[in-house]
Amino acid sequence: MVKAARTTGLVFFPAYDWAISPTHPEREERLLYTQDQVMEEGLLDVDGIVEYKVRPASYEDIRRVHFCVPDEAAVTTESHLISAGGCLVAADAVMRKEVESAFALVRPPGHHAMRVVHGNRGFCNINIEAVMIEYLRDRYGVKKVAVVDTDCHHGDGTQDIYWHDPETLFISIHQDGRTLYPGSGFPEEAGGPNAQGATVNIPLPPRTGEEGFLFALRELVMPLLERFKPDIVINSAGQDNHFSDPITNMNFSAGGYATLNAILRPDIAVLEGGYAVESALPYVNVGIIMAMAGLDTSYVKEPNYDRDYKPQPPDTTRYIEKLIKDLRGMFLEGGLKKDIYRQGEIVERRRDVFYDTDMISERQHENLRVCRKCAGALSIDSASSRKRRIFAVHIPRSACPACQAVGRAWFDSAARSGSFDNLYLQDRTTGIYETI
Amino acid sequence: MILGLDVGGTQTDAVILSDGKVLTANKTDTGEDLLETLRISIGKSLEGVNPAEITRMSFSTTLATNAIVQDTLDPTGMIVSAGPGMRPEWWEVGPSYHVVEGCVDHQGFEALPLDGASVVKAASIIKSGGISTVGVVGKFSVRNPLHEIQIAGIIKDQFSHVALGHRVSGILNFPRRINTTYLNAALHRIQNGFVTALSQSLDERGLTVPRYLLKPDGGTTSLRNSCNYPAIAAQSGPAASVIGALALDGCSGTTLILDVGGTTTDMAVVEDGVPFLETLGIRLGPYKTLVRSLLTHSVGIGGDSELRLGKKGDIRIGPMRVGRPRAFGGPAPTPTDAMICLGLLDVGRRELAHDAMQEFALSMPGGSEAGVAPGAKEMSVSVLEKMGETIALSARAFIHELNSRPVYTIYEVLHREAIEPSSAIVIGGPALQLAPYLEKAMGIPCRVPEHYGVANAVGAAVARVTSEVTLQADTYRGTAVIPEAGIQEKIDGRFNIESAISMAKEALREFAARGGGEEADCEISIAERQVFHMIRDYSRTGQNIRVKICITPGIIKEWRR
Repeated sequence: MVKAARTTGLVFFPAYDWAISPTHPEREERLLYTQDQVMEEGLLDVDGIVEYKVRPASYEDIRRVHFCVPDEAAVTTESHLISAGGCLVAADAVMRKEVESAFALVRPPGHHAMRVVHGNRGFCNINIEAVMIEYLRDRYGVKKVAVVDTDCHHGDGTQDIYWHDPETLFISIHQDGRTLYPGSGFPEEAGGPNAQGATVNIPLPPRTGEEGFLFALRELVMPLLERFKPDIVINSAGQDNHFSDPITNMNFSAGGYATLNAILRPDIAVLEGGYAVESALPYVNVGIIMAMAGLDTSYVKEPNYDRDYKPQPPDTTRYIEKLIKDLRGMFLEGGLKKDIYRQGEIVERRRDVFYDTDMISERQHENLRVCRKCAGALSIDSASSRKRRIFAVHIPRSACPACQAVGRAWFDSAARSGSFDNLYLQDRTTGIYETI
Repeated sequence: MILGLDVGGTQTDAVILSDGKVLTANKTDTGEDLLETLRISIGKSLEGVNPAEITRMSFSTTLATNAIVQDTLDPTGMIVSAGPGMRPEWWEVGPSYHVVEGCVDHQGFEALPLDGASVVKAASIIKSGGISTVGVVGKFSVRNPLHEIQIAGIIKDQFSHVALGHRVSGILNFPRRINTTYLNAALHRIQNGFVTALSQSLDERGLTVPRYLLKPDGGTTSLRNSCNYPAIAAQSGPAASVIGALALDGCSGTTLILDVGGTTTDMAVVEDGVPFLETLGIRLGPYKTLVRSLLTHSVGIGGDSELRLGKKGDIRIGPMRVGRPRAFGGPAPTPTDAMICLGLLDVGRRELAHDAMQEFALSMPGGSEAGVAPGAKEMSVSVLEKMGETIALSARAFIHELNSRPVYTIYEVLHREAIEPSSAIVIGGPALQLAPYLEKAMGIPCRVPEHYGVANAVGAAVARVTSEVTLQADTYRGTAVIPEAGIQEKIDGRFNIESAISMAKEALREFAARGGGEEADCEISIAERQVFHMIRDYSRTGQNIRVKICITPGIIKEWRR
């Protein structure tokens, strides 16, 4: 029998009884063929590959990350809780050293869910990676985390949640936002005032193939990880860069995903998007599981690969080489122009967020306390097209006494103002989550 | 009257049953020659019985298991068509294993045609090695057996037996399909020889009634049908005990079954009379297979296990058995000696058992000092308490494992209740003596049924024919496949879940009849029914329907009390 070079946990939750709507890509059938392929390959019989049973996450797990409007029950279903819980099971398996790495093959996905949640955007309600990361920090004392998001869409939710956190390196490789939802993820988006350079966006052009992805990985992502030295590496393993994906324009392959995973060697991988449910997902997922287990993936190939895979055009190659050179200059060679702020200064940010699935518009007004000692107190004033206005304060885990005091003062004064439907205080130093 | 017989590693148990009662029971030492052992055991059972009154015979034998463990399998060639994924050479089995080009995908579409020339070449290599049986397996052949059938068509005239992978099981697992097909082919001649010889011997005695073999899933199949799939009758011993406990007790609610033997204790869980099954299949020697099996767990502790002391003077029982108990002149103290010493068991020589336990007590740290060591009886009680605790610990781990089995729907995650046995049935030789200790260690009532010592033979006697078929229909592809039954039909867009269930039921009845199942005993249950709407570009293209129906393990109606 075959033995894994690296023990691997697999948390499989296809949610065969849940869909966003009957013909929505995020539906019951999505992981059916993946399960067929994984079963038929006999992957679960490989010595060293262990399947785990999911459990639902709790509201408490969600409150480490999100401000749900008006509350968790309103914006989540059982399926979201189980999907996030699947990630927690994967985290437990790795942290208890039962396995060397783990793959949460769960749905629905989460990387478009931001810190404030009014509804569903980009098929996501709660950010399952972030829920897992904050659980890892609280339960196991993990500090430095790197997230490498290889979904075809920019991981704008994860970026939003870790925008101000210098202890979380967020790297997103995706199809250029000028050509695809959600339209963000450009190199200049490099992190908030207290975490400049901790967000790295790699927007690749349409038609990027195997060589382009692997080039970006080897030349930029791996050196960034080497320098950051994270305690744990997480891969948001979206699979919609595949050449047969119906809603994107990239040229990646199952073999390419397997190689990417073998180079990246994430401690935990989490499924994100990917909607070529028949022609891509079965092969990509088999490739990822095998790569995580350290098995030879040279035989992993879509049956239609020779017919349908289009090699990367030369002009695309040149574009990517130039892009990576520029990004290396910014993030590895000190070229990133950092804004200068005063200690204790309050920096404002105003923006609009659109929830495409639920058709909600949100206007946010954010205040951040600039701080050299911690990630800084953060407040968000958020009003949605559903005529609901909330005020939320986030006091980060590492918060210094001054930022803790500022955050509480913001909360108290907002409570006195009477201008909000809901008030939230998320104090990560004490674990207190307060709502009014 | 029913004759039931269970061949164990050291002893063969036989019973004659009538009107829901055990009429006679006997034990025979299991010899080297299985057929001879069977003849002796049958001879003993028929003493004072008119053979004409026997209406049914059922056996649990070790034929296939022994052939696998002793590696006396027939040399068998394998021809495998794989397609992409895991490397097919990783699953190499047998002396002449060949991979040929060709690919069927997960939906049953032919993605790459079979390379007939390489099949011809593989067959000639196999043949030149003097091999006359071949196994043929394709990846996803249960979705579309086209390539297996094509390969068989090319080679069938050159070999005496060709076994096909898709007929083994509807479960998706290519490596296990390879192993199971290999075993079915490699055991074919041996099983045939055994069945022919046994049938002849039974005919001579005038026993011409239906004959069955027990399978590890707790069901039976006709002796004749076992020749087609010999691996399905391997390693049925634990199943014999579970069905025996069911027959003798009824096992309402959630019940833990403990079969305490000489060297091991086997356990299983039964819920409302239905035992839990392995998800995929049984492991036979080094081979993981798709042979349906009850979920059982074995722990190396039994009446004849060797007693030792750990470094801190703690009592260790098993997993080794070094010989018979001291009371029978064996080399080391055993739990059986403890039972004899306490007067719980009246066999062997009690003074030897007493000495054994006294010496064991004296060997404890500081035990040789006067007044420190416990007495022989006190020590015996500690041994049996320890035995109860060790088995209880193992049972808890087994139940935890059962509750940790993955589930794939929200409903199951949130609403499936944890399995928690409310009582236990204890069978096997030392059941009566050990039950009070098990009850104390586990905190649930432990019952010992009548005839607990031959529960295994009772189980073999009363198990009904079981069978299972898997249907997968794809209205977009326009096919419905029931691989086990060799059915492949064209369907149209009107085919739905109801048509699927009735088609599967019909196939199951026919399939079970081939295995000797009588119409009246066919309690069909639907193990799985799933319908997925297949969607491309936001519109429905068809339905993907999956149905698994089976006759679950249970008791024949002649016995039900």
